Amino acid sequence: MGEPLISIDQLARHYSVGGETVRALDGVSFDIQPGEWVAIVGQSGSGKSTLMNLLGCLDTATSGSYRLNGADVETLSDDQLADLRNKEIGFIFQTFQLLPRASALANVELPLVDRGLPRNERRATAEQALRSVGLGNRMHHRPNELSGGQRQRVAIARALVGDPSLLLADEPTGNLDSQTGEEIVKLFGELNSRGHTIILVTHEPKLAARCPRAIKLMDGRVLGDGPGAEVAALQGPRAVGT
Amino acid sequence: MRRAWRRTVSEWVEGLRIAVSSLSANHLRTFLTTLGIVIGVMTVIAIVAIIDGLNASFATQIGNLGTHTLYVDKWQWINTRDDWWSMRNRKNMGRAELEAIEREATEALAVAPMAGRATTVAAGDQELSGIRCTGTNERYLETGGGTVAVGRFLGPTDVEFSRSVVVLGAAVADRLFPKVALEDVVGKRVRIRGDPYTVIGVMVRRGRMLGMDLDTNVTIPFTTFLRDMGGKRSITIAVTAAPGRLSQLEDELTGILRRARRVPAEKPDDFSMNRQDQFLKLYNQLTGALYGVAVGVGLITLVVGGIGIMNIMLVSVTERTREIGVRRALGARKRTILLQFLIESSVVAALGGAVGTGLGLGVATLVALLSPLAAAVTPGAVALGLGFSAMVGLLFGIWPAWRAANLDPVEALRYE
Repeated sequence: MGEPLISIDQLARHYSVGGETVRALDGVSFDIQPGEWVAIVGQSGSGKSTLMNLLGCLDTATSGSYRLNGADVETLSDDQLADLRNKEIGFIFQTFQLLPRASALANVELPLVDRGLPRNERRATAEQALRSVGLGNRMHHRPNELSGGQRQRVAIARALVGDPSLLLADEPTGNLDSQTGEEIVKLFGELNSRGHTIILVTHEPKLAARCPRAIKLMDGRVLGDGPGAEVAALQGPRAVGT
Repeated sequence: MRRAWRRTVSEWVEGLRIAVSSLSANHLRTFLTTLGIVIGVMTVIAIVAIIDGLNASFATQIGNLGTHTLYVDKWQWINTRDDWWSMRNRKNMGRAELEAIEREATEALAVAPMAGRATTVAAGDQELSGIRCTGTNERYLETGGGTVAVGRFLGPTDVEFSRSVVVLGAAVADRLFPKVALEDVVGKRVRIRGDPYTVIGVMVRRGRMLGMDLDTNVTIPFTTFLRDMGGKRSITIAVTAAPGRLSQLEDELTGILRRARRVPAEKPDDFSMNRQDQFLKLYNQLTGALYGVAVGVGLITLVVGGIGIMNIMLVSVTERTREIGVRRALGARKRTILLQFLIESSVVAALGGAVGTGLGLGVATLVALLSPLAAAVTPGAVALGLGFSAMVGLLFGIWPAWRAANLDPVEALRYE
């Protein structure tokens, strides 16, 4: 394999809360190749949200290094990080995070606005993205006129529209019923088979088990890294079994 | 390079679009936010318009005094109480000074005495009291005394022979002969202070100056005035210069008068030369202060309005924290967010400015309709109102916008 898309080495993020240092992430290392579909799984407090914020360039690490598509993230300025997010990362959030006053189309156009594309080009690209997630007939609806599954599809279209090298999904099925969640997972499968690199952050071992690869975090460290089905089943030393 | 430029354009266009959509989503709030600015701009526009109107009407009134004329007088027309006491003891101005000026002043185009007192004028059983009677000569009109509507003005022989002839002010003619056509007033006989006079002309209507009706007067020959009304009072001498030679005339007259009145070299002048622009100067001082107060009040209101805008913008930033987080996650730079909120606060303020300008125009028009003031709205005042309000929006938008731009994206996305 060639150059990895993501390469993190001894990544750590410490917060100080009331004079005490909380090691939310405490030396994590792994590589992710282009085209992979990786779950980052762990219970709440395991550090997965912190890791996601770092991978998404929304936050910077206390120590360690992070290379994304050839860029040393820790050396970048705030503006450069914004540009990197715009170009390389498509975010998919648990709560969808759509702008309530804007139509589906306008929501999907947002990343292209920050790229400075002309309006008609933006519109055409966004329409294309909405069609690719099966929402060709819902473009002018507002989020409150769409079902949960449809909203998440809009969010996925928004993540895809800028043609990023990485899709970063945070509990994408967390706010959906199981049937709708299933559809979204299938959509991820399709996207992955079309070549998109996907990182899926979740606390559900069942969801992680369906990903080709999973990285399990516990207490800010990597507990296991390997095929999804195996890693998802790992139990930490202090984990409470169910 | 081109890309960066396009990005900037797109930032502005989108900023404006989002601002408009966010403002129109909150009608009532937008309205209340702009209210302060609306009132501020309205006040400034209306007051500036009214003062401009006052200026225009005052300038017209002052125009009744000759522009190139010096009014030589014992009194200084615009004075303080202290001046008044010293002027009271000055020697009266009289025939000797008039004759000296007529004889010696080479810069003078026209010289006319103006002796005056209030008197009664009667015709038939109509009697008018409180009419100003002016005794002058045939050059009076050239010094800015008005124009004759019908008949003729005083001639040299009227003055020479002290004829009992009179030129009526327009209002006097109206009131004494309400049923007679203007042309037929000429030749009528009137009694001034009981003495009979023949009407030889009627003046054109002149309106008012400084609250004084310029049409309730009568004009008779100077010599007749001295005979019938008494010659002990001090007179005014109107002297007209060629355009642009007013100060030369003033110098020349000073010399002539000091000699005629035998003022010792070391003593100050014991006479005054009054001119139209002294009134303008005084007037401008008065309205300047008014102007200052009005603009001050308007500015304070604008600042209060600005604080209102800041308050609402801070609320808006808090409400839209998640939206800001999303935009930052999707790649918006800090600058983009900053610009977004600055545009929004400027648009609110400019909106208020526009509405305030409209209302100010309305108030000014109403004042113009309901009062004799010609309230005039100048484009400058409108530009001032709009410019100031947009600036207030910008200024008071800085802090909320800065706060929005510096939100931590992670925190903002998690904000409930």
